Amino acid sequence: MVDKPALTRRRLLGLFGAAAAVPVLSACGSSVGGSSGGGATGGPAAAGGPVKVGLVVPQSGVYAALGTDMQRGWELWLKGHGGTFGNRTVETVLADEGETPQTGVPAVQKVLQSDGVDIVVGLVNSATALGVGDLLKESKKLLIVTNAGAEDVTKKARTPYIWRSSFTNAQVAAAMGAHLARSGFTEGVYAIAPDYAAGSEVIAGFRTAFEAGGGKVVGEAKPPFGKTSDYQPFLTGIQQSGAKATFSFFSGSEAISFVKQYQQFGLSSTIPLYGSGFLTEGSVLTQQADAALGVQTTLHYSDQLDTPANKAFVEAYRTAYGESPSCFSVQAYDAANVLNRAVGAAPALDGDALAAALGGIGTVDDSPRGPWTFEGQTPRQNIYLRKVENVGGTLVNSVVSDLGPQSQPV
Amino acid sequence: MLVSVLNGVAIGFLLFVLAVGLSLVFGMMDVLNLAHGALFLGGAYLGAAFAGGGWAGFLTALAIAAAAGLAAGALLSLMTEPLRRRTHLDQALLTLGVALVVGEVLIIVFGDDPLAVPPPPGLDGSVSAFGAVYPTYRLLIIAVGAVLALLVYLVVDRTRVGALVRATVADREMVAAIGVDNRRVKAAVFAVGSLLATTAGVLGGPVYGARPGLDATVLILALVVVVIGGLGSVRGALLGALIIGQVDTLGRVLLPELASFILFAALALVLVLRPRGLFGGPVAATGAR
Repeated sequence: MVDKPALTRRRLLGLFGAAAAVPVLSACGSSVGGSSGGGATGGPAAAGGPVKVGLVVPQSGVYAALGTDMQRGWELWLKGHGGTFGNRTVETVLADEGETPQTGVPAVQKVLQSDGVDIVVGLVNSATALGVGDLLKESKKLLIVTNAGAEDVTKKARTPYIWRSSFTNAQVAAAMGAHLARSGFTEGVYAIAPDYAAGSEVIAGFRTAFEAGGGKVVGEAKPPFGKTSDYQPFLTGIQQSGAKATFSFFSGSEAISFVKQYQQFGLSSTIPLYGSGFLTEGSVLTQQADAALGVQTTLHYSDQLDTPANKAFVEAYRTAYGESPSCFSVQAYDAANVLNRAVGAAPALDGDALAAALGGIGTVDDSPRGPWTFEGQTPRQNIYLRKVENVGGTLVNSVVSDLGPQSQPV
Repeated sequence: MLVSVLNGVAIGFLLFVLAVGLSLVFGMMDVLNLAHGALFLGGAYLGAAFAGGGWAGFLTALAIAAAAGLAAGALLSLMTEPLRRRTHLDQALLTLGVALVVGEVLIIVFGDDPLAVPPPPGLDGSVSAFGAVYPTYRLLIIAVGAVLALLVYLVVDRTRVGALVRATVADREMVAAIGVDNRRVKAAVFAVGSLLATTAGVLGGPVYGARPGLDATVLILALVVVVIGGLGSVRGALLGALIIGQVDTLGRVLLPELASFILFAALALVLVLRPRGLFGGPVAATGAR
């Protein structure tokens, strides 16, 4: 993919190969926290015995901040509920997912095989979530995915052992598609997202819903993922397309660059910016600063939701960790919540028993994000329209409206 | 369209400041320095750290970056000295190791969240250019880049020091024979090249931000510029940088569907037509033997 100077091309290639191996090596040293020993030895755990959960979230690399949020959401639920699922004590074994499947898959393998956990929770990266399917099928253990939004995790690559407490890429985007079609933008919207799997799924989900509502996508761009820092060429493309609004999906440093440059190049005053909620979620919003004001996004959560369940959750989270929760915290919090219900109802801790129990838990009515249900092993949940506003000197994603329950698009 | 050309010039000058140091060190001193991107990132983080301080903060960041760049360059020169008679691979492994260590240290100090770096006050707005809105700060990059380009060109081509550097490249033993310690020449070129890299980092912060992994991205861009321009040539680095600037902006406007590989397509084209780069004459050939 990357060419190197002719003079030393071969040497350089060898060298970059060596560089690529470094993260793989470091993955072997994934840290293990939580409790040690204990657990069921020989045969299924008796009712009332402990349940051992492997929490596999990034503790290093670009997603480390998401991992921290998830760990906190998980801990907070356990702390508030006596550290038990049903009448079993929960033992958490922590492992580092890292950035890629090269580190994530071995981490899942480690908690399953070396630590002998009963349940796996976590995974930010979709490729990792898709890569561990066989591992879980072989060991017949349950995995609750707390982020990884790829459609295929609960669609084409579905296994009865993998459930999801987060969202799907197209689910979040489809809600915005339908909303923009209803809001007078049918004449033309420009769609832009990075050229990797999640970006394509977001654009496809948006386009399908927007076009079903009579909207017309006047242009589409897919900037190279992880290699684009200057969006000027694409911003010019948006201006030339005559679009009435822009729909976008970026996260992390790309979300910061895109939103800031969208304002610097004068687009924010003429072509309103809409997006998938990750565009303005978590720490990127602080860095985007005033450039993000007025940006509207859809997501299944905002810490500004005005419900008793969310207010109590945000309060407890702020008290414990000194900052507001993100959707990632809620996804892990809810994973603990549904596991509590399933472990309490299941006769054993194997994947089959737990999957059957998860299928029967009905509506999760006490979640900070609002009521949701499992539908095809992934949440059917309300999607909220949010707008970045300055509330008392802090930028927040204020809730504009509730767009109603949304399934994973077919 | 014209605003894309303008933006290409801005990105081009930024790339020039970044790449000319790499080109000088590699082309003239025959040391492949893969820590060059890490120096840039260090500068970008310095800019982020002092971003709250207005112009004073910006200039402080520039001053510290310059001093740190000089010191880092001298240190790198010292570290690579024992490897002088070994292959490029040994130098590359050493400097890559340095780059990895620096990258980790930056994460430990600044955290792994990506940081945005606001431009200094007065330049954080936008102006109207060619019927489009354009960020003012990028005009400063064009001005500073042009001045630095002229300065580097004059020093290398028109001064005694520059002549000494060129002589060292042409025949190291002969220069040593007339009583010049060529290790000091190498250290000086290395130090100035690294200074330019850290300076580019501070200048580029408001455009690229500061984040883990940015060092690898800019290192690859710099290598592409050096290969296109030809090794060890200031004019080549300038032309290569300006070409890459245009390819990266105008090219992406005209051919959006080729955005991800247009840069390397340009590189491949130059390698096929002019394997030694556009300005890589016989001097560069000797320098990179």
